[in-house]
Amino acid sequence: MTRRLRRAFGRLAALDRRWIYVILALSVGTAMIVGVRLPDRPSILVQPIYDHIENLPAGSPVLLACDYSPSSAPELQPMAVAVTRHALLTGHPVVYVSLWPEGNALIERVVVEAIRSDFPDAVPGRDWALLGYKSGREMLINTLVRDFRAFYTQDVRGVAVDSLPAMAGVRGLADFGLVVGLASGVPGLREWILFGGDVTGVPVAGGVTGTGAPRFFAYYPQQLLGLMAGMKGAAEYEAALALGHPEFRQPTMRGSDNMGPLAVAHLVIILFIVLGNVGLFFGRRREGEGR
Amino acid sequence: MLASVFHLSGSIEVWIGALLTLMVFSYLWRDNPLYKIAEHLFVGVSAAYWMVVGFWTTFWPNAVLKLAPAASRLTSPDAPPPAADPVMWIPVGLGLLLLMRLVPRLSWLGRWPTAFIVGTTAGYTLVRTLRSDFLYQIQATVGPGLLVLQDGRVDPGATASRLVLVIGTVCGLVYFIYTRRDTGGQGRLARVGLLFMMVTFGATFGYAVMGRVSLLIGRLNALLGDWLGVI
Repeated sequence: MTRRLRRAFGRLAALDRRWIYVILALSVGTAMIVGVRLPDRPSILVQPIYDHIENLPAGSPVLLACDYSPSSAPELQPMAVAVTRHALLTGHPVVYVSLWPEGNALIERVVVEAIRSDFPDAVPGRDWALLGYKSGREMLINTLVRDFRAFYTQDVRGVAVDSLPAMAGVRGLADFGLVVGLASGVPGLREWILFGGDVTGVPVAGGVTGTGAPRFFAYYPQQLLGLMAGMKGAAEYEAALALGHPEFRQPTMRGSDNMGPLAVAHLVIILFIVLGNVGLFFGRRREGEGR
Repeated sequence: MLASVFHLSGSIEVWIGALLTLMVFSYLWRDNPLYKIAEHLFVGVSAAYWMVVGFWTTFWPNAVLKLAPAASRLTSPDAPPPAADPVMWIPVGLGLLLLMRLVPRLSWLGRWPTAFIVGTTAGYTLVRTLRSDFLYQIQATVGPGLLVLQDGRVDPGATASRLVLVIGTVCGLVYFIYTRRDTGGQGRLARVGLLFMMVTFGATFGYAVMGRVSLLIGRLNALLGDWLGVI
C-alpha cells in the first residue's frame, strides 16, 4: 500500500464526528424517500406472542400497558398498533392502561391509527376500553392483581367500568388472557413481570426499546411469554400478522416500513467502524515509524 | 418546481414539532441559543404537563373528592358525589409533612414520610425481587438439563442452548471471584466468562445503536413525512 493511501486512512481516525452525523442522516433520509424495504419474518421471541393471541378463547380480554413517552414512540407505537389490530381481528377486547402520565395521549394515537381506521365498527367499551393512566407504579399493579376496580372505577370518558362489556369478566389481573407491557423504562415491563405475571400466573408478553432489550432476555421463556425488541420486534409482529392474516390489509406497517432505512443506517455505522479501526491501525503504524 | 416535490403541512402543530426538532438537532453542530430555547421549552412543558396530569388524575380524585365529596359538583355536576373517605387524611398528612422539607426549621418532619416511603417500598419490592430476579432466574438457568419435546425426543437445539447458558453463567460468576488469584483452571474459566461478557456487551451495544437509529428514523418520519410530505 502506498504511503499516501496509508496517510489517508490514518486521517480517518481524526474525522470530525459531524461528518458522520451528516452522512448517517442523508443515508437514512434517502432510504426513506426511495422506500427501501426488506422482507421480515417473526423470530422465536415474537412468534409465541402472536400464537398466544391467535389461540386465546374467544372474547378473552387483552391488557395493553403503554408505559412509555413520546421519545420512545417510534419503536413502541408500531407494536401497540400491531397487537391492537391482531386482538380486534381475532375478537379479543383490548383494555389500555398506563403507568406513565404521557400514556393517555399515546394510547389515543393508537386508537386513531389502529381502531378508527381499520375497525370502524368497533365499539368503545365493548371492543376496547381506555382506562388510562394511574399513579402508583408497582403498588398499582399489586392492587390490580386483586381488584381492578379499586383503582379504575371509570374509563377516561367517565363511563363506569362496571358498565363496560370489555371488562365484564374482569375482577383481577388473572382474568385477562394476556398482559402486554410496552415499556421504555421504569415503571414498565419488569414491574408487570414481577408484580403481575409472577404473582398471578397470567401470561406476560413485552415490547421494549432496543436500548432496554438485553436486560429482558433473561426473563424469557419462563417469566415472559415473548419479547418484541425495538423496531425490529415491531416489524416481526407486523410480519407475523401479515403471514397469518393475509386477508387483512394493514394500511400502515410502521415497523416494517422502517426496517430498510434501519438496515442502511447499520451498514453506514459498520462502514465507519471498519474505517475507523483501519485508520487507527495505520495511525499507530505511522507513530511507530516516526519514533 | 418545489411545490411538486414538497407537500408542506398546513398544521401549526406539525410546524412547531418540525422546527423544534431542527433546533434540537442543531446541537450536533455545537451548543447554540436555538438548542437552549428548545431544551428549556421541553423542560418547562414537561413539568407543567406532569403537574396538571398529576393533579387531575391523582390529587383531585384521591384526595380532594374523598375528603370533600361536594367538590365533585365542580367537575361533574350531574353525577352523584363519591363517598367520603376520612382515611385519606393519613396520606394527605404525610404529603404535607414531606413539604416541610422546604422549611429549614421544620425540615426534620419530612423524615417521617420519607422513612415510610422507603421502608414500605423496600420491604415490598425485596420479596418480589428475590423471588423473580433471583430464585426464578436460578431455576430457569439450571432447570432440566435435557429439554424433551412432546413426543419424547430430546430437542438438541434447546439442550445445546441451555448448556451454553449454564457454562456462560458459571464462567461469568467465576470471573468475579477476587479472593483467589486467577491461575490454572479458575483462570481459564474466568477467561471463558470474559468472552461471554464481551459477546453480551457487543449485543447490548448493537441493540443500543438500533434504538438510537430508530429514534432518528422517527424524527425523520415526522420531518420528511408529516412536515415536508416527501414520503
